[in-house]
Amino acid sequence: MTMNRERFEALAEAYGGDLRRWPAAERDAAAAKRAAEPAFAEAVLVQAGGLDAALDEWRPLAVTADLREAVVGAAPALRPRRLLARWALGAGLAGACALGVMVGATTWDPGLTGNGSDAVTAAMSGYDTLGEESGAAGDV
Amino acid sequence: MGEADPDEELLARVARGEPAAVRALTARKLPRILALAGRILGERSEAEDVAQEAMLRAWKQAGRWTPGKARFDTWLHRVALNLCYDRLRRRRETPMPAPPDKADDGPAPDRGLHAADVGRRVAAAMQALPERQREAIVLCHYQEISNIEAAELMGVSVDALESLLARGRRALRAGLADLAEP
Repeated sequence: MTMNRERFEALAEAYGGDLRRWPAAERDAAAAKRAAEPAFAEAVLVQAGGLDAALDEWRPLAVTADLREAVVGAAPALRPRRLLARWALGAGLAGACALGVMVGATTWDPGLTGNGSDAVTAAMSGYDTLGEESGAAGDV
Repeated sequence: MGEADPDEELLARVARGEPAAVRALTARKLPRILALAGRILGERSEAEDVAQEAMLRAWKQAGRWTPGKARFDTWLHRVALNLCYDRLRRRRETPMPAPPDKADDGPAPDRGLHAADVGRRVAAAMQALPERQREAIVLCHYQEISNIEAAELMGVSVDALESLLARGRRALRAGLADLAEP
């Protein structure tokens, strides 16, 4: 596909004098135009390149160490440490629970649970009483 | 998306929590995003806030990133640009008492006084452009983003982008005539 002079000039006007910044789809045609009409193309590119050179004198902001460390410090690379802390906390709680169960199991003495035994006895007595009452009723 | 995303592998390592990958991606992207925000906003502290927030969102996104869907660099530019738009909108709603500081850091050791002066004049001329023209030039010239991606980022057609670029550059050439001569 050939490129006319107007299009070549329009592209330089928009994208500047460096063909690498021109639209990828038109770079080959632009290069062909440059090869076919070098004097015209160079005049256009040099003209646009003057503004490019001036623009490049506006240097970008430099990244400070504080900013860099703030960004790095907020990254997921720190998560394993947080996960480890959570795991340690969870393991601690689980250990405490296990210890509690173990202590409870080894120190449990049925003889010390008088109230519980009484409750069971009372319930059984009640059942027996009920049986007797039923039997009595049947005898009538 | 035709070409492979050059950031994809690094992003996957970030998602796995590799500290070296975090540092590498920070080194690759933070200067680029700070440069973008600095040139759009023209003020260091706001630009740093935007760059930091954009990178924080990148860390959150790393684990959810879908390879092949979009280029990470384009996505990050979109995030940063939206953050810049928010700040520009707030500026319009609350006019600032004084113009913001210029983004130029002053002369580097290897730069002469003339170069620093040129930089300051360019910064001032860029800040004087209409916002959309400035954005187009920042994306295409400074960030070296393709015309198609820049148009997508700005939500305009490629023709409209080209028009913004051409009008912006004409205004700059008029304002910097003595500097822009080849």
